[in-house]
Amino acid sequence: MTDHTGTRRGFGAWLMDPKRRGALLVTPAIVILFVMNIFPLLWSFGLSFFNYKATSQRVPTFKGLSNYEKVLTDERTWERFQTTALIVSSSVILQLIVGFLLALLFAKAFPMRRIVLMLVLTPMMLSFVSVGVFFKLFYEPTFGIVSYVLNFFTTEHFVMLATPAGAIAGIVIADAWMWSPFVMLLVLAGLVSVPKYLYEAAEVDRASKWRTFWTITFPYIKSLLLLAVLFRTIETFKLFDIVYIITEGGPGSATETIAVFLYRNAFQFFKTSHSSALAYIVLFIVIVLTNLYLYSVNRRAEEVD
Amino acid sequence: MARKYREVGKAGWGYTALTTVVGFIYFFPVFWIILTAFKTRTDALAVPPKLFFTPTLDNFYSVFFRTSITTGNSQATDMGLYFFNSIFIAFTAVGFAVIVGTLAAYAFSRYPLRGNDTYLFIILTTRMMPPIVVIIPIFLMFRISGLAGSYWGIMLLYTAFNIPFSVWLVKSFFDELNPEIEDAARMDGSTERRVFFGFCIPQILAGLAATFVFGLILTWNEFLFALLLTGVDTRTVPVAMARTLGGEVGVDYGLLAAIVTLFLIPIFFVTFLLQNQLLRGVTFGTVKK
Amino acid sequence: MKKRNYISGLMGATLLSVGLSTVPALSADITITMAAPDWPPTRFMKEHFDQTYTSPDGHTTTLEMDFIPWPSFYERVAASLTSGEQKYQMIVTDSQWLGAFVEGGYYMDLTDKINADPELTAIMQDLHPALVSSYSTYPHRTRAQLEEAGVVPAPGVSYYGFPQFPDTYVTFYRNDVFCNEGEMAAFEAKYGTNLPCSYEDWQDTDWTKWGQIGEFFKRKKGEMLAGEVLDDDFYGIAYQAGKGYDFSSMQINAFVWQQGGDIWDESKAPTAQAEGVVNSDVAVKAFEEYLSLLQYMPPVAKTGQMDIFVEQDLFMQGKVGAIIDWVGLGEPVLDPSASKVHDKAAFGPAPGSRQADGSIDRTGNIGGQPFVLTTWNDDAVVDEALNVVKWWLSPDTQLEAVANGGQSGLKSVMADPGYNELRPWNRAHVEMIDWQKDVWHVPEFFELLTQQQEEFDKAITGQITAKEALDSIAAFQQELLEDVDLIQN
Repeated sequence: MTDHTGTRRGFGAWLMDPKRRGALLVTPAIVILFVMNIFPLLWSFGLSFFNYKATSQRVPTFKGLSNYEKVLTDERTWERFQTTALIVSSSVILQLIVGFLLALLFAKAFPMRRIVLMLVLTPMMLSFVSVGVFFKLFYEPTFGIVSYVLNFFTTEHFVMLATPAGAIAGIVIADAWMWSPFVMLLVLAGLVSVPKYLYEAAEVDRASKWRTFWTITFPYIKSLLLLAVLFRTIETFKLFDIVYIITEGGPGSATETIAVFLYRNAFQFFKTSHSSALAYIVLFIVIVLTNLYLYSVNRRAEEVD
Repeated sequence: MARKYREVGKAGWGYTALTTVVGFIYFFPVFWIILTAFKTRTDALAVPPKLFFTPTLDNFYSVFFRTSITTGNSQATDMGLYFFNSIFIAFTAVGFAVIVGTLAAYAFSRYPLRGNDTYLFIILTTRMMPPIVVIIPIFLMFRISGLAGSYWGIMLLYTAFNIPFSVWLVKSFFDELNPEIEDAARMDGSTERRVFFGFCIPQILAGLAATFVFGLILTWNEFLFALLLTGVDTRTVPVAMARTLGGEVGVDYGLLAAIVTLFLIPIFFVTFLLQNQLLRGVTFGTVKK
Repeated sequence: MKKRNYISGLMGATLLSVGLSTVPALSADITITMAAPDWPPTRFMKEHFDQTYTSPDGHTTTLEMDFIPWPSFYERVAASLTSGEQKYQMIVTDSQWLGAFVEGGYYMDLTDKINADPELTAIMQDLHPALVSSYSTYPHRTRAQLEEAGVVPAPGVSYYGFPQFPDTYVTFYRNDVFCNEGEMAAFEAKYGTNLPCSYEDWQDTDWTKWGQIGEFFKRKKGEMLAGEVLDDDFYGIAYQAGKGYDFSSMQINAFVWQQGGDIWDESKAPTAQAEGVVNSDVAVKAFEEYLSLLQYMPPVAKTGQMDIFVEQDLFMQGKVGAIIDWVGLGEPVLDPSASKVHDKAAFGPAPGSRQADGSIDRTGNIGGQPFVLTTWNDDAVVDEALNVVKWWLSPDTQLEAVANGGQSGLKSVMADPGYNELRPWNRAHVEMIDWQKDVWHVPEFFELLTQQQEEFDKAITGQITAKEALDSIAAFQQELLEDVDLIQN
């Protein structure tokens, strides 16, 4: 079917030799990742055992595990982890609910669907900085639109960010608004993958809508929902800009997430080694979450096959 | 391979109206940002918040020009350069990442190495860790290599940033292809190169496009690396945007909104054009239908 | 221990390169790259330099300014310095960063240069001593310690920076409200004292009256203000009470100092203590007074986010009668496109604490920025950079800067007969600059500041009491400073 010479022995053919083909093709990616990612990681792993400070000319000395000990015994670290867990879990739950409802809405085909869907997808494309700045403005008690609207029902100005709970809510709403469309897309994938004949069968059986949902739809989206939870959990764990802009960790330290804490240690206090140790603890948690994620992905793959 | 959603049921224009209302409520904060781009400072901070006002293009003008303090003439703000930088850096880095990622993905899919899954796992982990974890050592590394402030430095970093995602996504596209067709082609005497370029690539072009767009969305708004690793000539828009966040006044809402609006346009259209591939992109290719 | 050598080698490289490539002082093309926050006072410096500067040594000198957005300025500069990219020859810096970057080996000690150069010595002598103390000395020397020496430069003191933009906080107020006859009469009737209208009235305003103003002008939408019906709630006063950066410490320090309390005094290290000083009864009482006035401020004060920009915006949009804010933020208030009160704004000294003898103590925490030289430049560049310093601090340049929204730290310029007329806040600025002290300059400054801001913020948002906040701050500082031997017992 082709006039190409399958027998020519050039560099290309050598390259495509089955024995080393896989390794060769993977090499560029691995090299770049090693230089830009893995090597820096190992470096900071090394640093985490010293007492290096970027703003000191003192020669760093080997400190063993003392940075890890300091990080793990500092009660602020645990406070930050708790705050992060609270923000991550509430945000992810909210994203699930909103994303799910949006998916139900957009599951049908209707005229102009592509255009209307763009309205919902746009928040993901904004920068964190602009989302942070404008949500902060919305919450501002004097100038903000939230306070203005709520003022129809109250006599006092509504002050969203004055309490720890309010501040966490403010961050969670902004983050969930930005990323619920992501969950929507995943759920949409589940919804449209339900074989039509199952619904037809349910109709014949005169099953209630609720029952149809639980017995037919839900099993198909269940594992996708789990994926959404894990994926968003990992991403929200990194949440930095929105927190830093909307509350700067306040009031007090009520919204100081681990990412903000890490940033302060590394770039404001220049406790380079100390923050490397903290970073590795964070990385460990992320790896555990990644494993959970992959485990659930594999399970889904098995279910589908 | 591009596939349309198999929609659950069909609905008419009435449903369009309903979803438009809901969609618009969801879109409202974005709408408000875009409105703000056309407001003066006093309109932007007006109480009650203003929906109707006399629009001004001053903010858009200020994106590109500022008034000289000593002479009162207008000077360029270099924002044009920063828009160029953002587009150049993001497109080049993501393009390169897709090429490198595609090669690796093909290998992972067709010629599994020993410990294939381990490699894939490590690759994914590098993408999933908070950027703050690597920024300290990358900084120390840029300090030695002299990459700080150059196009090369930031592009290499963004390439690395996008490779994991490209590998996973493109691999899932390759996995979906039917290997029997490739084998048949080989039986007919096609070279491996021709199998790759003549059979595999054409079939996943739409997937590659989606990978590209997703990389672009993730890279487009990146702030921390750009702030710390670009120089005055290689600065990107998200970094330059920060000039609207405080100086002589606090946030310059109108100017920020104008930059955000302009910066949204390219990514919005690319996303719109490739919307059908979005679904696969967001899950890094790990979700298959 | 390969790793260890590697790292120390890395740091050594930073220092070594200083000695390399010495160029003879012939006329040459010299480029000075300066890290500067992106705002008008630095923009002016660049423009004015391009228009007027000629090198006295016959060099062709280019001043390249790397304008960095204010909110990212610290991170960008710190990253550049610690990464060793050696990009900048001069840097605009907050005075508090001196310790960290001097200890890191990045900022150049100019003491010998100043001693050797009569022009520079003259400049140091003409600079206001409060500025020299805050902007230039490290280890920090107080104004009193410098004045005790009797000579400038003082022996045994290391000098680093020169003022780029010396800043103080003053009162911004609405004269249409404060000079309204009806309001003045009503205030007089209610409190038995006058509502401050003129500059002289503000000179006699203490925190008690500031509180009365707050109470007096807290009005609801629909009530009257200066003869007009309010279309939104109105408030009398605001000062900084924000969690970010130093947006509450600057004001709280003033309360503490004015009432005779103190912060940890780095100029007396290592014998000065934090425990018992920071949380002394006087300090607690001062902080309580600060907190007690927050109730009269716009509702955003409850969130602990009343930063210097938020109060400025509230003032510019006509929501508050008087604020205490930096002179550096004054210019937009007069700009009709940004400010609704551009034709009604007036300026006075910031209030202070009434002392036993009836005088008012206005001690404040200095703001603004010095600029410094970096350590890795060859002699030609250093000499030319010092020429730039002399150009910038020459009276002509300084007066021009003040006319364009800058500020000067030179006594001779501030004494110029035309100076007070150049900008409406100048008179207040000169009065306030005499009262300035500074927060710490030690390398641990950011850690001290962040913890303190966090505890202050808890108290501002009502989560803990003033005493609890100061106790926690004192304990934290004591432990941290003992750790780094800045407190030795």
